[in-house]
Amino acid sequence: MTDLPDTKATPAVPTAAARPSRLWTMWDSDLAYSFRRSPVAMVAALVTLLLVLAAVFAPLVATTNPFDPSSLNLMNGFTPPGEANAFTGEAFWLGTDDQGRDVYSTILYGLRISLFVGVMAVLFAMILGVLLGLIAGYVGGWTETIIMRVADVQLTFPSILVAMLIFGIARGVIPIEYRDQMAIWVLILAIGLSDWVQFARVVRGATLVERNKEYVQAAQLIGRSSTAIMLRHILPNVLSPVLVIATISLALAIIAEATLSFLGVGAPPTQPSLGTLIRIGQDFLFSGEWWILFFPACTLLALALSVNLLGDWLRDALNPKLD
Amino acid sequence: MLAYIIRRILQSVIVLLAVGLVAFSMFRFVGDPIEQLLGQERTVQDVERLREALGLNDPFIVQYATFLGRAVQGDFGISYRQSRPVAEIIAERAPATLELAAVSGLIAISLGIALGVYTAIRRRGWLANVVMSTSLIGVSLPTFLIGILLIYVFGVQLRWLPTFGRGEVVDLGWWTTGLLTESGLKSLILPSITLGLYQMTLIMRLVRSEMLEVLRQDYIRFARARGLSARAVNFRHALKNTLVPVITVTGLQLGAIIAFAIITETVFQWPGVGLLFINAVQFVDIPVMAAYLMLISVMFVLINLLVDILYVWVDPRLRIDGRTT
Amino acid sequence: MKTALTAAMLAALTLPAGATELRFASTTDPNTLDPNAGNSAPVFSLLGNVYEGLVRRGRDMSVEPALATAWAPIGDGEGWRFTLREGVTFHGGEAFTAEDVIFSYERASSEESDTSSWFASVDRMEADGDFAVNVYTNGPNPIFVDGIANWMMMDSGWAAANGAERPNIEQGNYATLNANGTGPYRITERQPGLKTTLEAFDGWWGEDRGNVTTATFTPVQNSATAVAALLSGELDLIEPVPVQDAARVETAEGVDVIRGIEARVIMLGFPHDKDTLLTGGGVNPFQDARVRQAVGHAINVPAILQTVMRGSAAPATQLVSDAMRGYTSGLERPAYDPDMARTLLAEAGYPDGFAFSLKCPNDRYLNDEAVCTAINAMLAQVGLSPAFETMPVANYWPTLREDDHDMYLLGWSPGTFDAEHPIRFLASTPNAEKKLGSWNFGGYSNARIDELLPMIQSEIDDTKRQAMLDEVATLLAEEAAYVPLYVQPLVWGVRDGVEVVQRPDNFLQIRWVEMAE
Repeated sequence: MTDLPDTKATPAVPTAAARPSRLWTMWDSDLAYSFRRSPVAMVAALVTLLLVLAAVFAPLVATTNPFDPSSLNLMNGFTPPGEANAFTGEAFWLGTDDQGRDVYSTILYGLRISLFVGVMAVLFAMILGVLLGLIAGYVGGWTETIIMRVADVQLTFPSILVAMLIFGIARGVIPIEYRDQMAIWVLILAIGLSDWVQFARVVRGATLVERNKEYVQAAQLIGRSSTAIMLRHILPNVLSPVLVIATISLALAIIAEATLSFLGVGAPPTQPSLGTLIRIGQDFLFSGEWWILFFPACTLLALALSVNLLGDWLRDALNPKLD
Repeated sequence: MLAYIIRRILQSVIVLLAVGLVAFSMFRFVGDPIEQLLGQERTVQDVERLREALGLNDPFIVQYATFLGRAVQGDFGISYRQSRPVAEIIAERAPATLELAAVSGLIAISLGIALGVYTAIRRRGWLANVVMSTSLIGVSLPTFLIGILLIYVFGVQLRWLPTFGRGEVVDLGWWTTGLLTESGLKSLILPSITLGLYQMTLIMRLVRSEMLEVLRQDYIRFARARGLSARAVNFRHALKNTLVPVITVTGLQLGAIIAFAIITETVFQWPGVGLLFINAVQFVDIPVMAAYLMLISVMFVLINLLVDILYVWVDPRLRIDGRTT
Repeated sequence: MKTALTAAMLAALTLPAGATELRFASTTDPNTLDPNAGNSAPVFSLLGNVYEGLVRRGRDMSVEPALATAWAPIGDGEGWRFTLREGVTFHGGEAFTAEDVIFSYERASSEESDTSSWFASVDRMEADGDFAVNVYTNGPNPIFVDGIANWMMMDSGWAAANGAERPNIEQGNYATLNANGTGPYRITERQPGLKTTLEAFDGWWGEDRGNVTTATFTPVQNSATAVAALLSGELDLIEPVPVQDAARVETAEGVDVIRGIEARVIMLGFPHDKDTLLTGGGVNPFQDARVRQAVGHAINVPAILQTVMRGSAAPATQLVSDAMRGYTSGLERPAYDPDMARTLLAEAGYPDGFAFSLKCPNDRYLNDEAVCTAINAMLAQVGLSPAFETMPVANYWPTLREDDHDMYLLGWSPGTFDAEHPIRFLASTPNAEKKLGSWNFGGYSNARIDELLPMIQSEIDDTKRQAMLDEVATLLAEEAAYVPLYVQPLVWGVRDGVEVVQRPDNFLQIRWVEMAE
């Protein structure tokens, strides 16, 4: 296990890069094998990839830019999919929403925002949670107590309140011309903050178990620094659950963004995320303009479902005891 | 062990104090309560008088101290919105939330364990795989959307079930229950499914993976080798050993159910504390928000405490930590 | 509307039928049952069934006798004399007399009350025997009577016995949860935020009452949930129906929609008194009337009404709707003309537009966020660069009050149903001492309007008064002090067989409801 060169470490696990670990071996062989054997995982990966590509290249694949207010025509509003608008005569593949925005383009741009918010929020939560969890588990003592009790405080606050708090502070601090972009970062912070606790708890739990194992004690005996032991020895061994949680958290974060939007603290209506689109669309569920809700909801479902399925497969595949 | 528990309780008190401090420092960002307390014809003098009377001119730390001083005597202040004691309002609303949480918790646990065991035993079966995959749909849509879709299908289109509220409730004096009337029971179905779906999926997946793990253990193999029936192996040995982590996670999820109830209660207009809280945020009803957050944190702290104690108790390897750290 | 009216009138002539229950819902629960502790539509709408004033508003909003049978001016603008109705009893059984009027005046105008501004012009009030009251005003006040339709009479003995002589907004008291009026319905159960039950009061003096014997009010914040409950037959009457759902409710079986126009005008406000905008730049282009006029021409109100409001609302030409007293006829709203808007901007020296902040609430007015999103796009289309932000109303008002705004959205519904009301609150130079311009967030100031307001307030001659109101309305329109957009629609949903009267103040009078057996 130790004779593999450092450079071949997987990019998905940057911290493991320094020293090849068990994880790398699994990635190299078992994981890929398991992936090939799981049609569900392959389909999920394909769908995820397609959606990510669509989001990244949205400006190229979209027919209009729904975020450019000067290009909108309100009279195009509520055009059903594939039909010509009664006033303007324009037709749209997936119809238009209440503002006359092309639903197809809005979904692509919304996907971009949802994915960005989700990935960034999870990254933020993961880095914060893993570091704090490692420290709490390895160092112990008062440090652990403080970290874990802060986690308790964090759990107490519904993410909506965290979001409102951050929105409130940001509104006071950030100049008006940056606030449009601000909303996205506020969301990332709010979702990330309410999500780090589970990373911290799992990593702490795993660290507690790992630190009593021989390899850690050996490393301690040869005088390696705590930081090195935490990052190079313990971290790679607690990473599998982290990876699984991160995947599932990604789906959760995308959904959380939608929920915050439902409660009125989501992405701004001028830069709608998938969640904002669903929140707007659900106003038209009873009135018959089903496409405004249906297509964004399907996209969100496809995205969250495939990410979840990937997480599911990863959970099984990364658990070496199972096969 | 006792010292550990005492220390944890002390820490928990500090946590509670911190929660309160954070809460009070953030209330002013939620908005200004005066705006919605007085009508459009108010004068600057009215605003000032009310602001003074409510103590809103005090620094938040003073407001917090006042709140704490009263809270330890069981007085959570008077709701700005309803002009009556918060404790009274919460006592009135709590049964609705607790009943909803209990029913959804029950659904989540019973269905979750049953499906989890099934999918673990029939790991390669097609039905198990269908269950596994479809259960993910439930966690791949936002709760509010699931609620709205359920209302649309079962309330509006099919007209089988009520679309909002608790139905008829029976007042037992200290508790109101919707479990004793037909309309009350019917009203519970959609919200408890909405609320329990996520937890059910979670428990099901947890039971499945724990079961799979346990089924691989040597003692199960030996049990099989000894010729014990599959039933005995699966349930008497495997399931039993699965339950400890399941119980701890479920315990943690209990808190989550009550926290998640905010969304479900909003969608279904369920008259519980979650809806009360959302309304309080809307109207910047600081005493209600403060009391709600304190109650939720007491609950979370208690659950965390129990889970941690349980961990130490179950896993002897951690017991040393309990003593040394 | 017309059929509802006739049916209700017919009902007034027939004898009350058997027990009928009305289950109705609205988005907001009244925060109190105390008529002096809350000054908002939800409070007055519900309490209007329970308490009564000296005067009340009829189906067409005209002022009509209630607990006073007649009123007349005293001397030359010294005040008003009210003759009280005899034989009226409170729900508690006590008789209504002049003493209760004086008590109610003292209570409603007290420092603790949220309704004291109604009595700003009152010097004193005196009882003249048991059934007459003299109100002395500081100067002539022709519209005093119009302003007191929501001033509700309370029983002095009941209030004293229960320690509720004064309203208590912050702590609450007996009157917060209990009510004892003279009205056609009495409150039998009150669960704040959950449910309020009303029952017909047998001892009511009036006759114009339909067949509702019990009414249950449930607040349902989410309008879509309320629509679902109406469609599934759990409710008989909901308010509002989201405009987008109106067509669906209209075509659905067993339910119907009743439409009307509310008293509320939605408008855009400008930062008149700022030296520089939030976005910086050193100058405030909105101080140039041409820039404000350009905004008026840039906004395609017909398109907003057609799509976002689904044809339910009417365009507004001034700060009040045409249902209000003192409305100025003949004014036209700026036509949608983006070229004209660009020309005006260029003339003012901003051919390439400029950046500014546009703020809107997202939970205050019907479809406010969607309307603002559309406005944002329209302003961008004439070359302006709005920094657009929406927020819940809990944050919105503080933001406006702290002057943290440039352009903003505002709705105004005049409590007196008179054109003087918005002039006092929105068009007068802000002055806390004189209690003027308290909602004039932009600090608009026009010496002529400030001069006209007290004259309007004391002018008894209707023609002269109207001439002055017309002058103000014309000035406001010419200067584009605000850009009035549209009058908010009223859309109620009812179950078939429920006949109601919809008033522009959006109050539900249960006594005008007639339900099929």
